[in-house]
Amino acid sequence: MEATFLMNSLWVMLGAILVIFMLGGFIMLEAGSTRMKNAGHIAGKTIFTFGLSSLVFWAVGFGFIFGSNANFLVGLTNFFYSGAELDGMGLSSSVFFVFQMAFAGIAITIALGGFAERAKLSVYLIFTVLFSAIVYPVVAHWIWGGGWLAEHGKQDFAGSTVVHLTGAMAALAATILLKPRIGKFNKDGSANNIYGHNQVYTALGVLILWVGWFGFNAGSTLTVEDGFFGFVALNTNLAAGAGAVAALIISWVVMGRSDVPTMLNGALAGLVAITASCAFVDTWAAVVIGFVAGILVFYSVRFFEKRRIDDPIFALSVHGAAGVWGTISTGFFATPELAAVGKPGLFYGGGFEQLGVQFLGVAVSGLYAFAVSFIILAAAKKVLGGLRVSEEEEIMGLDLSEHGSYGYPEVFMAEENKRLSS
Amino acid sequence: MESSFNSYQSLKKWKEEQIIKYPNDTNALNEFHDVTMKAVFTIASEQLKIERSPSWRFAWFTMGSSGRKEQGFLSDQDHGLIFEPGDEEAEAYFLQLGEEISRGLHEAGYPYCEGKVISSNPLWCKPLSKWKRQIQAWMKEESLETIRNLHIFYDSRVLVGKEVYIAELKSCIHQNIQKCPHLLTRMLETSMHIKKSVGPFGQLLTEEKGEHQGELDLKNAAFIPYVNAVRILAAKEGLSETSTIDRMGKLKKMKCYEEEMGKYKSNFAALLKWRLQSYRQSDTYDDTHYLQLKSLLESERNELKKILKDGKKLQRFVIRAIEKGEV
Repeated sequence: MEATFLMNSLWVMLGAILVIFMLGGFIMLEAGSTRMKNAGHIAGKTIFTFGLSSLVFWAVGFGFIFGSNANFLVGLTNFFYSGAELDGMGLSSSVFFVFQMAFAGIAITIALGGFAERAKLSVYLIFTVLFSAIVYPVVAHWIWGGGWLAEHGKQDFAGSTVVHLTGAMAALAATILLKPRIGKFNKDGSANNIYGHNQVYTALGVLILWVGWFGFNAGSTLTVEDGFFGFVALNTNLAAGAGAVAALIISWVVMGRSDVPTMLNGALAGLVAITASCAFVDTWAAVVIGFVAGILVFYSVRFFEKRRIDDPIFALSVHGAAGVWGTISTGFFATPELAAVGKPGLFYGGGFEQLGVQFLGVAVSGLYAFAVSFIILAAAKKVLGGLRVSEEEEIMGLDLSEHGSYGYPEVFMAEENKRLSS
Repeated sequence: MESSFNSYQSLKKWKEEQIIKYPNDTNALNEFHDVTMKAVFTIASEQLKIERSPSWRFAWFTMGSSGRKEQGFLSDQDHGLIFEPGDEEAEAYFLQLGEEISRGLHEAGYPYCEGKVISSNPLWCKPLSKWKRQIQAWMKEESLETIRNLHIFYDSRVLVGKEVYIAELKSCIHQNIQKCPHLLTRMLETSMHIKKSVGPFGQLLTEEKGEHQGELDLKNAAFIPYVNAVRILAAKEGLSETSTIDRMGKLKKMKCYEEEMGKYKSNFAALLKWRLQSYRQSDTYDDTHYLQLKSLLESERNELKKILKDGKKLQRFVIRAIEKGEV
């Protein structure tokens, strides 16, 4: 067997492991940004929904995205994928499958972030199945599976649109239908701070995601050829750094204080934004893209809050707003040497053509993800008699209401139990 | 007037009817508060089952905004008791009296003090001899907590009883400062934190979240810097005045402070005025610390900004005065 084939397989397998480990980052990020009474639920459901989405991806997701005999929406072969080698791959097809499965897992995890602290467990279950079957695969097929956007030359190297925007639009549909958490907004429209219970968890979550992103972006080269993955990793790190710096600066300038959650959002926004463009732009452009994302995420958070949309872990801003910007950024910054897909950007003499393609891709993908997610959730609301836990359950916390045990038992349990369990 | 009330409730009712007569005069409003609080004291003394021995002497004093004659329409309670002699019987009586006064003030519409600076707290209710020892111990310990207590105590003013008790205790502090100016440095170090209120581009920084979103935290961003800075100068110069305006007036007559106090005295008067103007009938005690910017004219906003920035400048001036002895 050819050495390159083996090395490619090994590299992408490492990427897959890193991407799956990003779930650890999401657990820390999401649990840290929310209250103690929901921590066990958040950690547990993240693992559970990844397991569930993996099964759906194996059954239909992979076939819908990459199968042949495709119609406008999806491909129609390779369901219940057997592990057989597929034609035209420079690496083990099973490794490619695992890598792609990990991406689908990240997309659903982002989407479910918008459900935090108030949705019923059954809603998580139903939405995970349907999102993984008919929302994510369609957008992924259009852009990565040889669909119509791929034919247009849409640039989305590792998934600013496919993974992040799709997840964020589903989260938006969910936050709109679920309505704000109890106590988030006052009658006069002003917002309250529902503090996350552990900023150290949140920061550690961001770090795990940051490291995982090297698998996400650099792994998306799918090959070790020319060591190009190193360049992709370099751009990725620069954008994350610029995002963190920009967000801290804008927080200090506007609010007069260096807000830690804002800075953390900035780092993530830089990562989300560079995801589309990491292979297509120069290093200086990666810094600019990350920096703009860091500023954008700050204003995006304020924008949603003003509209009384309660986004507990900032999924809409970090993955949505930054995902849009990242995708469009290649329309400006893609260089002729690096634009392996599509055309160079506006700043490199490519004119408005690539920018137009990027806009179209973002708009159609975003709209599709939002509309279908909205329909799924609206239907689920009917069938399940509401998406939310009861007021009483929300106040007691989802750890107890949905699972009957606590993430932090010593804090919440009755004195007697406390004595026995500590 | 005082004797005409036989319950805290009737006093509260009277207070609520009368207080609206002082819409923009801080001095008159504070005299009114004094009258009300003295009436509480009278009722409390009458309510107690045990009698006060005629030979016992005492001073009931207020601190905080009341001590400084800077109360708004709503104000919490900060007060203490000094008495003689220090025997057990008297001690038991005055602690009970303190308890009754605190309850009475609460019922008359002065919420309890979060920091427990009230006469029912043994820390603030002591015979004179123990008070002297306590003040000495606070000065000697110099911890954040004890220096904060000194800050609080320094604004004390007698409402009922012997004024000389407070004068005597304050003169202990002055003598100590003369001997050991380091105490002023400690007082400065423990009161330097100012809530940021003007951003790098000169924008007013308001509350980001909660019920007071978009409003300015007048208490922490504006009042406290002035009050603390002026108190430290007052302690340095051994002034007996307790109100910030009076202290500034006295300092202004001294050559080394003439210029600065001339600049800042009107700022503080403006702050007092704004607080009264921004009061709404529905306000809680917490609400009265915030200023709605929407109701301000452009010129008023600019004035406010200047006052906030000046608070910082005044603090720097005091730091120089204390640390480098430039004044």
